[in-house]
Amino acid sequence: MAEPLEPVIDLEAVDEEAQEVAARAARRGFLPIQTNWFDRLFIAIYIAVALILLWMRFLEPAGVSIYLCYVLVLVLGAVIIRKG
Amino acid sequence: MRPSNPWLNVALWVILSFTTLFPIYWLFVISVKPAVDLFTTPSVILDTVYWRNYVEVFHDPTLRRYMTNSLIVSTGNAVLCSVLAFMACYALSRYDIGGKENIFFWTITNRMAPAAVFLLPFFLLFTKVFVIGDFKLYDTRIGLILLYSTFNLPFAIWTLRPTIDGIPRELDEAATVDGASTWQTIREVIWPLAKPGLAVTFILIWVFAWNEFLLAATLTSFNARTITTGLSEYVTTTGTEWGKMAAISIFTLIPALIIFSMVQRHIVAGLTFGAVKE
Amino acid sequence: MRSNKVGWLLLTPTLLLLGVFGILPFIYVLFLSFHQWNPFGASPDRIFIWGNNFRRLVFDGEFLLSIWVTLKFAFFAVFSEIVIGYLLAQLFMREFPGRAVFRTIHTLPLIVAPIVVGSVWRLMTTPSIGIIPYYANQLFGIDINIGRDAGTAFMFTVIMDIWHWTPLVTLTLLAALLSLPKEPFEQAQIDGASRAQIFWHITLPMIRPAILATVFIRLMDALRTVDEVWMLTGGGPGAATRYIGLHIWKVVFPKTDYGYGSAISVIVLYLTLVMCWMLYVGLVAPRNKGN
Repeated sequence: MAEPLEPVIDLEAVDEEAQEVAARAARRGFLPIQTNWFDRLFIAIYIAVALILLWMRFLEPAGVSIYLCYVLVLVLGAVIIRKG
Repeated sequence: MRPSNPWLNVALWVILSFTTLFPIYWLFVISVKPAVDLFTTPSVILDTVYWRNYVEVFHDPTLRRYMTNSLIVSTGNAVLCSVLAFMACYALSRYDIGGKENIFFWTITNRMAPAAVFLLPFFLLFTKVFVIGDFKLYDTRIGLILLYSTFNLPFAIWTLRPTIDGIPRELDEAATVDGASTWQTIREVIWPLAKPGLAVTFILIWVFAWNEFLLAATLTSFNARTITTGLSEYVTTTGTEWGKMAAISIFTLIPALIIFSMVQRHIVAGLTFGAVKE
Repeated sequence: MRSNKVGWLLLTPTLLLLGVFGILPFIYVLFLSFHQWNPFGASPDRIFIWGNNFRRLVFDGEFLLSIWVTLKFAFFAVFSEIVIGYLLAQLFMREFPGRAVFRTIHTLPLIVAPIVVGSVWRLMTTPSIGIIPYYANQLFGIDINIGRDAGTAFMFTVIMDIWHWTPLVTLTLLAALLSLPKEPFEQAQIDGASRAQIFWHITLPMIRPAILATVFIRLMDALRTVDEVWMLTGGGPGAATRYIGLHIWKVVFPKTDYGYGSAISVIVLYLTLVMCWMLYVGLVAPRNKGN
């Protein structure tokens, strides 16, 4: 019987790496659920839309510029995507 | 559980079944009464049956056209969706396609969106964008068939996937070893085995397409109107002809009832995206 | 594995169809929502106007009202269906003669076209034809007129939805109940737990995923109800039952104000997705707790 070919790739190492990637992809930040970056992007967009609409309804007529809201939304979005 | 008198249960279910069936029975009662009798004391028992409503509805050329349209659109849609879903499921099941779970999931999200949201874009696309010379998709049967596929194709993929996944791979590998081409494998090995699952999918899609109303009402005007739209037209234009309206309702109901008796066991699995198996 | 080219080839028609008829309309409606475009209005050209459509939309009383009645309708309908459906599922758990027949009858409304459901209930409730107003008046002296009284009209849309969709809830919950193990219940009975205790501490936690999944499916459907309500009340009286789909179809759409209509469509899609997503998280999050 021939010697089994030496595995080119160390399967266990690959496995560990894969798990690490998976852990990086889906993790727990300050949000109460496990998320990957796509989920966080979605959450950021959801919150952004809600904030902008509420701002248009209540704060803009009171004289607060909408651009303040855009800045707020961008900052909040960045925080959620990076740390969520 | 606590032992209870089974006949109490039966009595309860008789009442409940009555609640379920009575509205449909009432529809029938209205449909077999002449218009003059409708406004007297409502009576639950039928003494005379008056078939004129059905005869008139059946001989109305407009309604006949609507009926034909409905039949063509539902059947066309069911064929298209079943064939495409069969191909797609085979590909997703047997080939190593990058990101295939994402593709699978994306097709499903297509179905979740409310149809009303897409009325406007579809209307504009059909009347202004998808125009080749004089041909518009608006008010054509092929337009409706393609449109319904947006909602029914994901459903077909979702319900057919387990069937195709359930066919052992060894079978097509054996066929390949015997020198069969991919096409032959699909036709002679997979197709016959997938037939029962495919039939259920086909029938459920057929009913969905038959029952659809909102998109048909918005995206057709004359040529491609379906029977469900015809029914609603009857109410708004000639609101007083209750008997005819009931007769058309019965006509709309009958195919669904036939289907119901055929695939009764699979309806719940179908309506819940296969989340519930009975 | 054979060549992936064939696989992609088999998948192409599906992707093409869903791309052209699923993704493209979405992009198109999003694009239009930032424009002003009314071909039959004062300025028929399409003009880019940033978020002005959305600025108009948050002050649109009719639109906000229709969102509110839709949510109210969805809440009442789905909540009643879950409660009634659960009770009926429990009834089906017992052995009794003719169970299969009753179950078949109970499944029947599911297959009826929504538009026919609407017409059935219209015939049941229209004054002077319908049997419900007649007997309500004869037996209890109540005057039922869904064309005049907003509360009654709303109530009947909910009743109609319950008639149409409770069977789905019953059968999904029945499937969940049948799949439960017997031991915890027997043990609880031996320990002398009351029926309420068994329900709150054993049954409910165990069928929670099934309940949430059912709520999810039903809620998505209830939020987009159009056909039945159109046939039953036509959205009236006033705007009392003009649910959001009906509002888009009957009020926004005929105005040919395409930019503004697109903005409304986008926001409705947004609201649906948010609710859908929150329920999905509610469904999945408890399962991930173990990790």
